[in-house]
Amino acid sequence: MSGPGTTWYLVLAAFLFGIGALGVLIRRNPLIVLLSLELMLNGGNLALIAFSRHFADGAGQIFGLAVMAVAASEVCVGLGLVVAINRKKLPLDVDRLSELRG
Amino acid sequence: MTAGSWLCLLSPLAATIVILLGGTRLTRRAAAWISTASVFVAFGGAVWAFFGVHAQHVIQNYSCIDFGLRCQAPGELTTAWTWLASGNFHVGLQLLVDPLSTVMMLIVSGVGGLIVLYSIGYMDGDPEERRYFAYIAFFVFSMLMLVEGGNLLMLLVGWGLVGLSSYLLIGFWHERTSAVRAAKKAFVMNAFGDATMALALFILIAHYHSLSFGVLGGSGLSTSTANWVALGLLGGAVAKSAQIPLQTWLPDAMEGPTPVSALIHAATMVTAGVYLIARTHAIFEQARTIELIAAGIGALTLLVAGLIALVQTDIKRVIAYSTMSQIGYMFLGAGVGAYSSGMFHLMTHAFFKALLFMTAGLAIHALSGEQDIRKMRGLGKVMPFTKWCFLAGALALVGIPPFSGFFSKDSIVAATAALGTWYGWVFWLCGIAGALLTGLYTFRLWFLVFPGEPSAFVAEHHHKHGRWGEGPWTMLVPVGVLAVLATVGGWLQWSPLWHPFTKWLQYAAPTLAAAEPSNTLEYVTSAATVLAGVAGIALAWAIYAEKRVAIPQLPAVQRLLENKFYFDAAYDRLFYAPASALSVALRREIEEPVILQGGPDLGQTTLDAGGVVRRIQTGLLRTYVFFLAAGAAALVLAFLIAK
Repeated sequence: MSGPGTTWYLVLAAFLFGIGALGVLIRRNPLIVLLSLELMLNGGNLALIAFSRHFADGAGQIFGLAVMAVAASEVCVGLGLVVAINRKKLPLDVDRLSELRG
Repeated sequence: MTAGSWLCLLSPLAATIVILLGGTRLTRRAAAWISTASVFVAFGGAVWAFFGVHAQHVIQNYSCIDFGLRCQAPGELTTAWTWLASGNFHVGLQLLVDPLSTVMMLIVSGVGGLIVLYSIGYMDGDPEERRYFAYIAFFVFSMLMLVEGGNLLMLLVGWGLVGLSSYLLIGFWHERTSAVRAAKKAFVMNAFGDATMALALFILIAHYHSLSFGVLGGSGLSTSTANWVALGLLGGAVAKSAQIPLQTWLPDAMEGPTPVSALIHAATMVTAGVYLIARTHAIFEQARTIELIAAGIGALTLLVAGLIALVQTDIKRVIAYSTMSQIGYMFLGAGVGAYSSGMFHLMTHAFFKALLFMTAGLAIHALSGEQDIRKMRGLGKVMPFTKWCFLAGALALVGIPPFSGFFSKDSIVAATAALGTWYGWVFWLCGIAGALLTGLYTFRLWFLVFPGEPSAFVAEHHHKHGRWGEGPWTMLVPVGVLAVLATVGGWLQWSPLWHPFTKWLQYAAPTLAAAEPSNTLEYVTSAATVLAGVAGIALAWAIYAEKRVAIPQLPAVQRLLENKFYFDAAYDRLFYAPASALSVALRREIEEPVILQGGPDLGQTTLDAGGVVRRIQTGLLRTYVFFLAAGAAALVLAFLIAK
C-alpha cells in the first residue's frame, strides 16, 4: 500500500463533514445549505472509501456509489424546492420559511 | 335417491328466495301458491328418497340376511363439497338419506305441505302475507336441513336455522308487544340449547377430529366424556322440545299465527329433540345415565304439562301444553331406548296435533280471533265439520283405539315397564297417569267448546267463511286429510302383532333389547292406558258437560297450576332480576363514571399533552439540524464512554 495512511483520509473526511455541518447550521440561504449537505455526504463517502482501502474490501465502494445516488436525488429534490420557492416570490431564507411552527 | 333428497331440501329454499326477491311484483296469492307448491315438491322429493331407501331395505332384508351376506345398512351419504377444512378436520356439505331421515322428511314435508296450504286460507287478507309465506318456506327448508344433515355440524346448522325461523314466525305480528316478547323468549331459550350442543360438538372434535355420525359409535371416549357429550346434546334437545326445565317458551310461542303453531310448535320443530336422541343414540347408549335422565325429564314434563293444561283457558295454550306433554312421552320412549316407538309417536302426534291446532284455527277464525274457551260453548252446532275433525284428533290424542295415538303411546309406556327396574315402573305409572290427564284436559276442551247450544258469544260473533260456511277449501281439505291420517295413521304398527315401523328403523336406531316389552306387557299396558284415558274422559264429562258435578275447590293447587308451577316467576327471580340488577349496577358504577367520563377525559389529556409537545416544533430548519447533530454527537459520546 502506498501513499498517505488511512488516518489522514479520515482526518480529511472529518474536516469535510465538520465544515458541511457548520454550513448547514449557520447559513440561511437554502442553496448554500444544500451545498454544505453535499460536503457532509462527501466527507462520509471519503471515510467509506478509505476504510474500503484499509480493509481491502469492495463493500465500502459499493456504499459510496449508493450514497452518490442518494445525494444526486436529494439535490434534485432540494434544487426543485429552491426553484419553487423562488417562483412563489418567497424569501430565500430558511429562518423565514417557518410556517410549520407548532 | 340422493337427488330426491336434494330436491326435497332445496325446493323450499328456492321458494323463499323467489318470494323475497319478487317482492311486490308477485301477487299475494302467487306468493302463497309458490310456497305451497315448493313444499309439495319437497314432499315429492321425500317420497323419491323413501323409495330409494326402501329398495335397499328390501335387498338388505331378503338377500343379505337370508343368505348370510354382509351388506351395508340402507341409506346413503352424499357430499356436495368440503364445506370447511382445518388441518385434519373436514366437514362436508353432506346429506344423509337413511330410514330415519326419510321418515322425518316425509313428516316434515307432508304435514308441512298441508299446513302451508291451510295457511293460504288462514292468512288471507293479512297485509304481510308474502313475508309469512317466505318465512314458512324457509322454516321447512331449515327443518329439512336439520333432518337430512349428514353430519353433526349440518344438523347443528339446521338446528339453529329452525330456531331463527321459529323466532321470525312467532314474532310475525311484530306490532304486538306480546308476540315480540314471546319470540325473544323462544330465541334465548333455544340459544341456550344450541350452545350446549355446540359444546358437545367441541368435545367430539377434540377427541375424534370429526363430526360425522359415525364417530358417535366409536369407543374413544371415557365414560365421563361420553356423559358430557350426551348431556350437551340433551341440553339442545330439551330446549328445542320445550321439556322441563326449558319449557316456558312454548306456551308463549302461541302468539304466532295458528298454522305456525301447528307446524313448528306441534308437528315438526319441537319434536326435533326426539329425532336428535334417536339420531345420536349411539352416544346416549354409552352414557346410559344421561339417557335415563332424558326419560325422567320426559316423564316429569308429561305430568307437569298435563296438570297445567287443566286450568288454561286459551284454546291454543291448552293444546300447547298438551304438545309438551306428548313430547314428554316421546322423550320417555327415546330415553328408555325404544327409539322407534318414540319416532312412531312423533309421527302420529304430528298428524293429530296439527289437526287439533288447525281445527282450533278454524274456530278462532270463525269467531273473529277469540281464543277464550269459556266463551265458546256450543260451537259444534254451527261448525259440524270442525267438531267431528276435532273429535278425531282428541280421541287420537287420548289414545282411544282405533285412533292413531293408541298404537304409538301404548308401546312407549310398555317399553318403560320392560326395563323391569324400579324407575321403569315409575315411568310406567307416570305414563298411565299422563293418559288420565290427557283424557281429562282434552275432553275438558271438547265439552267446553263443542257440544250444547251456542253460547251468546258464539251466536253473536260467529260468521260464515267460504262456500261451506266453515272456511275456504284450502283450510278444510288439509283438516280433512289430517283427520283421516289421525284416525288411520297408527294402523301402520301395533307392536304386539305387526311392527313394520320398528323394522324400518332397525338399522338407523335399533330398539335396545332392554326396552322390548313382552306381548303380555303390551296388552296389559294398552288396557291400562285406555282405561285411564276413558276415565279421564268420563271425569271431564262429569265435570264440564251439562251435569257439572261440583269438584272440591283447592285454591292453592289452582293457583299453583295457573302460575304454571311458578317456573316463569322463578326464572324471573333467578336469572332476569339478577341480570338486570347487575346491568343497572354496571351502568351506575362503570358506564357512567368510567366510559362516559373517560372518553372526554382522555381527549382533554391528549390535547394538553399536545400543547406542551408542540413547542418543540419551531419551524426553523437550523434548530432541527442542531438537534440532529447534537443527538448524533451524544450517541457517539455514549458509545465511546460505554466502550
